Amino acid sequence: MIELIAHNLAPIMFASLIVFLLLGYPVAFSLAFNGLLFFFVAVELSPYSNDIRLSWPLIQTLPARVLDVMRNDTLLAIPFFTFMGIILEKSGMAEDLLDTIGQLFGPIRGGLAYAVILVGALLAATTGVVAASVIAMGLISLPIMLRYGYERPLASGVIAASGTLAQIIPPSLVLIVLADQLGRSVGDMYAGALIPGLLLTGLYCAYIFVVSIVKPSAVPALPAEVRTLGGGVTSLIVALSAAVAIGFAANYLLQDEIENGAAIWAATIAVAVIYGGALLDKMLGFGVLSRLAQQVIIVLIPPLALIFLVLGTIFLGIATPTEGGAMGATGALILAFAKRRLDFKIMSDALEATTRLACFVLFILIGSRIFSLTFYGINGHIWVEELFIALPGGEWGFLVAVNILVFILGCFIDFFEIAFIVVPLLAPVADKFGIDLVWFGIVLAVNLQTSFLTPPFGFALFYMRSVAPAAPWFDKVSKRTIAGVSTLQIYRGAVSFIVLQSIMIVVVLAFPQLSIAARGPEVDLKNIQIELPPAEGEDNGIAPPPDLDLSQPPDLGGEQQQQQSP
Amino acid sequence: MQALLAVSRAIDAVTGFIGHHIRWLILAAVLVSAVNAIIRKLFDISSNAWLELQWYLFGAVFMMAAAYVLQRNGHVRIDVVSNRLSERTREWIDLFCHILMLLPLVLAMIWLTIPFVAESYQGHEISTNAGGLVVWPSKLFILLGFVLLLFQVISEVIKRVGFLTGALKEAEPEATHGLTPEDLGVHGGPQK
Repeated sequence: MIELIAHNLAPIMFASLIVFLLLGYPVAFSLAFNGLLFFFVAVELSPYSNDIRLSWPLIQTLPARVLDVMRNDTLLAIPFFTFMGIILEKSGMAEDLLDTIGQLFGPIRGGLAYAVILVGALLAATTGVVAASVIAMGLISLPIMLRYGYERPLASGVIAASGTLAQIIPPSLVLIVLADQLGRSVGDMYAGALIPGLLLTGLYCAYIFVVSIVKPSAVPALPAEVRTLGGGVTSLIVALSAAVAIGFAANYLLQDEIENGAAIWAATIAVAVIYGGALLDKMLGFGVLSRLAQQVIIVLIPPLALIFLVLGTIFLGIATPTEGGAMGATGALILAFAKRRLDFKIMSDALEATTRLACFVLFILIGSRIFSLTFYGINGHIWVEELFIALPGGEWGFLVAVNILVFILGCFIDFFEIAFIVVPLLAPVADKFGIDLVWFGIVLAVNLQTSFLTPPFGFALFYMRSVAPAAPWFDKVSKRTIAGVSTLQIYRGAVSFIVLQSIMIVVVLAFPQLSIAARGPEVDLKNIQIELPPAEGEDNGIAPPPDLDLSQPPDLGGEQQQQQSP
Repeated sequence: MQALLAVSRAIDAVTGFIGHHIRWLILAAVLVSAVNAIIRKLFDISSNAWLELQWYLFGAVFMMAAAYVLQRNGHVRIDVVSNRLSERTREWIDLFCHILMLLPLVLAMIWLTIPFVAESYQGHEISTNAGGLVVWPSKLFILLGFVLLLFQVISEVIKRVGFLTGALKEAEPEATHGLTPEDLGVHGGPQK
């Protein structure tokens, strides 16, 4: 009997983890306790099974594992981007963007829906927090969409789905976590996610376009009197052409002066000129530009500049993702301050929310490192590997099974839990199949994004429910009573977007080059620590913090020696 | 029971105070990181001490705030099943798990971390990066974090018992999943 248990310790440990988790006790502590409990069991049973490679001294490595989580440079990006997102949200960026872009697109059929999708993508590239996007757009756009006769499920679906773009478009938190779990650099994950993220945005727009043709009554255009900024699209086009011309001219002039990055400086100059021009025009009342053009330029440029500051510098290799996050957060503070939306309370509240989120995320990670010491020590990873290798279809059988598994899990538990518990088990198997881990990560990221939309536990749907009016309400603008949105309508609205998401998962699976090509020439990523600033590279032969911990079995012998020193 | 509840309130006040004020170190980390990045680009000067300071600050935040987050019920749970249970049952589960799971875990971590910190302190361990910081403060945060958690577990156990015996009126605060609308400054709710 004891031998039977000793030989099947990994499945038993995993099953008991599921029981602990289902109790509803905090995930971080369940993981850690499970690891600790089975460490004792395993050491006691080690004489009975060759699979158990644990002994008492190894338990002393636990504090070092916590320290490794602490000094992981990549994870610092989590509080930085969260803080940046909350500050931007509180500075009222979503309101400004929705109002302006809504007016720009409003006159065309499906215009408000396009505006929601575009603003969703813009918010995703700056704030990266799903809750923020869905709630802001739900509060601002949903009432307008209902007022002018948008079909209810479609209106709520497009808002919820656009909000989830924050999951896939960099700088999303889930990509940072996945990069950490897969042992890849955040920069690579960001580069890999960019094209799929933009494609998905395009896919949403295409869907709205199809609806506007097949069923025009579902997505009506806004009447002219709603457009308080008036027309003046021509003026906007002229202004934008001028900006492009200035950019090209500056590029031509600067080319000989600056060797590298002339194009970037030229673009910066062009943007600065057009922004300054629009501001001057507005303040002095010259009326060179139409009011619409002024407003679009003034509202759009700061977030775009911030996107460049963060993502541009990361992609160009000027800054590490962590530095990008810090500069983005600083930029957000400056923006909020300039808009006079920053005070002590806002700052303090944003830091509070950031602390809470970062603390629970990092503690799940600590829990999963404690869990993994035992799980790998009893060859649990080999058990998982054998399970998946036994599947028919080899690599593709594995990919299909993994996606179905994550999709189903995503209906019930949230993405942090999947990323911390399931992904580390899958990563070594994927590696064994020779699957590109960045590509694998992007597929998982799109899949996890879908989990925000799948009933019954889709978080975007929860956020939507919390802001959508459930009961009929009296609309002051149109002076009539408008029916509320039922929960069933919210669920129904999500269905078509879940289908779009599934199409996107298949597309990313079928065309790996979408997420791999953007990365440039293939290099041996295992030996390169892109996130670390060069200064730290000189660290004289001592291994960098073992980011790869979870995807590789721990080098048990080595750690033991290190820890046994008196 | 009332005496115990007073102890619990005292613990909550201390962990709450620390959790409440430690958040400002995140702002410090943001500024250190941003300034450091800019200086490195502009003047090509880089200092490992500043790089390390960033994660010292962040490490201090999440270790020292863990107890406060537990107090606020902010550690994420999988509530698929537990949502269907009554409040009392959930409180019973929490009571048992606090005593049987978290308490041994925290005690084990404290017991393991004390020599970890002591060796580093006595050996004057300095970061292996050139110009790096002394190591023991970062390890001390781990120890302090778990010590605070220990006190918080004691306080939580008292509160759960207090609730189950009727000595304490309010149950645990509602679990927060990630960010709430209030965090984002949007006070939602259907528009009337």
